[in-house]
Amino acid sequence: MEVIYSLIPGMTFFGLVFVGILIWAVKRGQYEDMEGNASRILLDDDEDALLHNDVKDKVAK
Amino acid sequence: MVTLSSSENDTPQPAGCFHCGLPIDVDVDYHQLLDGSQRNFCCFACQSVCAAIYDAGLQGYYQRTPQGVLLAPPPTPPKDIEMYDLDEVQQDFVSCQGELRETHLLVEGIHCAACVWLIERGMMRTKGVESANVNLAGKRLHLRWDNSRVKLSNIINILSKIGYAGVPYDPEAAEGSMKRTNRAMLFRLFFAAFAMMNLNLIAIALYSGADRGQFVGFFHWMAFALATPALLYSGYPFFKGAWSGLRNASLTMDLPIAIGLTVTYSYSLYVTLTGSGQVYFDTVTNLTFVILIGRYLEGMFRHQAVAATNRLMDLQPRVATVLTDGVEKMTSVRAVGVGDMVLVKPGSNIPMDGLVREGSSSVDESMLSGESMHVKKHIGDRVAAGTLNGSGALVVEVQAASADSTLSKIIRLVEEAQSSKAPIQRLSDSIVPWFVLVTLILASITFYLWSDNFEMALMAATSVLIITCPCALGMATPMSIAVASGLGAKHGILVKNGVVLETLSKVTHFVFDKTGTLTEGKMRVDQVIVASGCDETHSLALAAAVERYSEHSVARAVVAAAESRQLSYRNLSVLDFHATAGAGVEAMVEGMPVLLGTAEWLLRNAVTIEPALMLSLDELESQAKTCVHLAIDGQHRAVLVLGDTLRADAQALINTLRANGIGMTLLSGDRRLVAEAIARQLGGMEVIAEVLPQDKDRVIQQLQQRGECVAMVGDGVNDAPALIRADVGIALGSGTDVSVESADIVLMRNELDKVRLATLLSRRTLRTIKQNIGLSFVYNSIMVPLAIMGHVTPLVAAITMPVSSLLVIGNAARIRNLFKE
Repeated sequence: MEVIYSLIPGMTFFGLVFVGILIWAVKRGQYEDMEGNASRILLDDDEDALLHNDVKDKVAK
Repeated sequence: MVTLSSSENDTPQPAGCFHCGLPIDVDVDYHQLLDGSQRNFCCFACQSVCAAIYDAGLQGYYQRTPQGVLLAPPPTPPKDIEMYDLDEVQQDFVSCQGELRETHLLVEGIHCAACVWLIERGMMRTKGVESANVNLAGKRLHLRWDNSRVKLSNIINILSKIGYAGVPYDPEAAEGSMKRTNRAMLFRLFFAAFAMMNLNLIAIALYSGADRGQFVGFFHWMAFALATPALLYSGYPFFKGAWSGLRNASLTMDLPIAIGLTVTYSYSLYVTLTGSGQVYFDTVTNLTFVILIGRYLEGMFRHQAVAATNRLMDLQPRVATVLTDGVEKMTSVRAVGVGDMVLVKPGSNIPMDGLVREGSSSVDESMLSGESMHVKKHIGDRVAAGTLNGSGALVVEVQAASADSTLSKIIRLVEEAQSSKAPIQRLSDSIVPWFVLVTLILASITFYLWSDNFEMALMAATSVLIITCPCALGMATPMSIAVASGLGAKHGILVKNGVVLETLSKVTHFVFDKTGTLTEGKMRVDQVIVASGCDETHSLALAAAVERYSEHSVARAVVAAAESRQLSYRNLSVLDFHATAGAGVEAMVEGMPVLLGTAEWLLRNAVTIEPALMLSLDELESQAKTCVHLAIDGQHRAVLVLGDTLRADAQALINTLRANGIGMTLLSGDRRLVAEAIARQLGGMEVIAEVLPQDKDRVIQQLQQRGECVAMVGDGVNDAPALIRADVGIALGSGTDVSVESADIVLMRNELDKVRLATLLSRRTLRTIKQNIGLSFVYNSIMVPLAIMGHVTPLVAAITMPVSSLLVIGNAARIRNLFKE
């Protein structure tokens, strides 16, 4: 059972790390816009492949 | 993604506008050939936005719009955007790194994820834009651009071309310290949650037998290691609150919490050091966590309530063009002093409150009044900051500094509303110190009663301290009021002070102003009846010449009628204009005395009434038409017949009130027949007509003397005294600032249905407050005796106390569901 001498402090340390990550994420604004980023990944940019060449050139510039 | 209208589909959708999907009026014809097919639009704005989107090759937007989502037509693009290029203006909201600049724009017109796509693509294709990031939830755009390659005004222009109105703003100023404190609280909460969860595991181990094994010392020290930072960091707000309370010689709710936490913690530390007995570190962290949750939720609701004000702040102009010795100079509004002359160009916002010194124009005051009709402004007229100048240039003498403008007053009003206290809350505020004192005394008595057994005495006393925590009592009212006023603000109901939330639910009688309240208040001339030998257009021109100096709704209608017939009434010379409130106006037009008003007033002014003109009057008035009589040179010459339409939601409101058994009175300065016709259309109610403005207040007084609790709904300046006199004054957002200031509740949008919602809201709030106070009294009267008797361990106390707080919070939060059904 002596293993708990290292297990409990170890787990507590990991817990602290997670709190740290959570605080970092909030500070970085990861939770600011839940909807927008969820849909942004679905609205991919395949459109450009379908465009006429002249439009594409304009975009490329 | 589901397509709204695919490009293969060659026939234009007959259902609605290609851009926004709204139905197209039959008589409009906006169409454009796009990608080889004809598209129809509801308005020019939609057409040009759609064309711009196609030009930019961003038509994929229409494929990405979710099916069934109706877009709104594009918002009006912001005016005067060149000013955002000025460095001194930018310093308020832009962070610069040389030419690389960064700002946040508040964007109107974002509805769905497809808009995010469109804006980001559109922005990224603009030269000089480094990055563009749309926040869909907050309707904001974070923008980084190279100022040497593109100006901010160009970017905003591009944004308005694709159908969005962007205004720069400073997120710090808008949300500011509120957000920072809320966030600090959130971090404390995170840490408390972490410590609590770990400590609970240790506590379970201890309770299930580990307290007798070889590891007991280890568990105690681990618990100590977790509880100490939790107490110091997460529990800091309580100690701070208790200390500042003590310094101001008042007992706050934080004090028993702080004492309870300290005592429990110190005892547990003592046990840890001596190795005998039980530790209660878990109680310390549980308590901290749950009380913090309550505080955090409260802060969050407050924050949401404040968000409603942000839109108003946004209306505040930032720059003004000051005229000094004929030289124009653009400066920040803060630098403009009282007495300065400010030039207001056509189409721009009026920067300050002031008097017109030169020029004339029509001004859109819908921001203040909700009336979409423009108000004519001439030399000597008052203009308000934030309103939109129409077609003419004005030179305005500044009368009030920016911070004292009408708009600032409204913003302050909202803020006041959010911090005001209901009497019932003042009651609980004055109870709290006594409550705390009693708690401390009870705890001391408990300790004394159990003094033979030190551990038992300490535990029982701590239980009493923790369990009687008046949180539930202290939170009951503020939570309910905060939630209710936040919900109200979200639905366009501004509650100026919490008192009326109580009073409104007791109202037994509603008094309505007629014009502008039950009716649209937008009169129009339906008919001009002339005496034989008179010319209709000439009569109207003379009437308009006089009425253009009046601000009355009848006057506006007459002027509008003359305008629409393109009569040249403006070049008629008008002298000696005089208005008699509630009766009529008179002036000398081209040397002839012209009188315009009620028949009685004309009679009093020695005009012979023409019987031929009076024939159909009764019939017209019973159709709720208003008749204005015109006398030229002492001769009764014409009758102008004006009509006003009932508000669409008036009927529903009246029906609901009647079903609730609430008495109603229609109050009108108008003629009896007209007022009665309106009352009849609404299913009948008591009518008090032909009252002069100063009498409206007396009518309310009489009702009150009959023992009624009266609510007055009105809009105009003439309703202001009545609004003050009534137990609850409700001003429609059409608020001339006088009526807004006199009212207790302001309905921001001109919807009568909001009156009904406000009543519902107030009933619900009062019920919730009562429930909550009852709840916490029942809780305390059961738990305190148990704690004194020593039947409650601190652990149980720490569980039940937060549960009671959460019940109160949860109950208050339920108010938010009120309008959802």
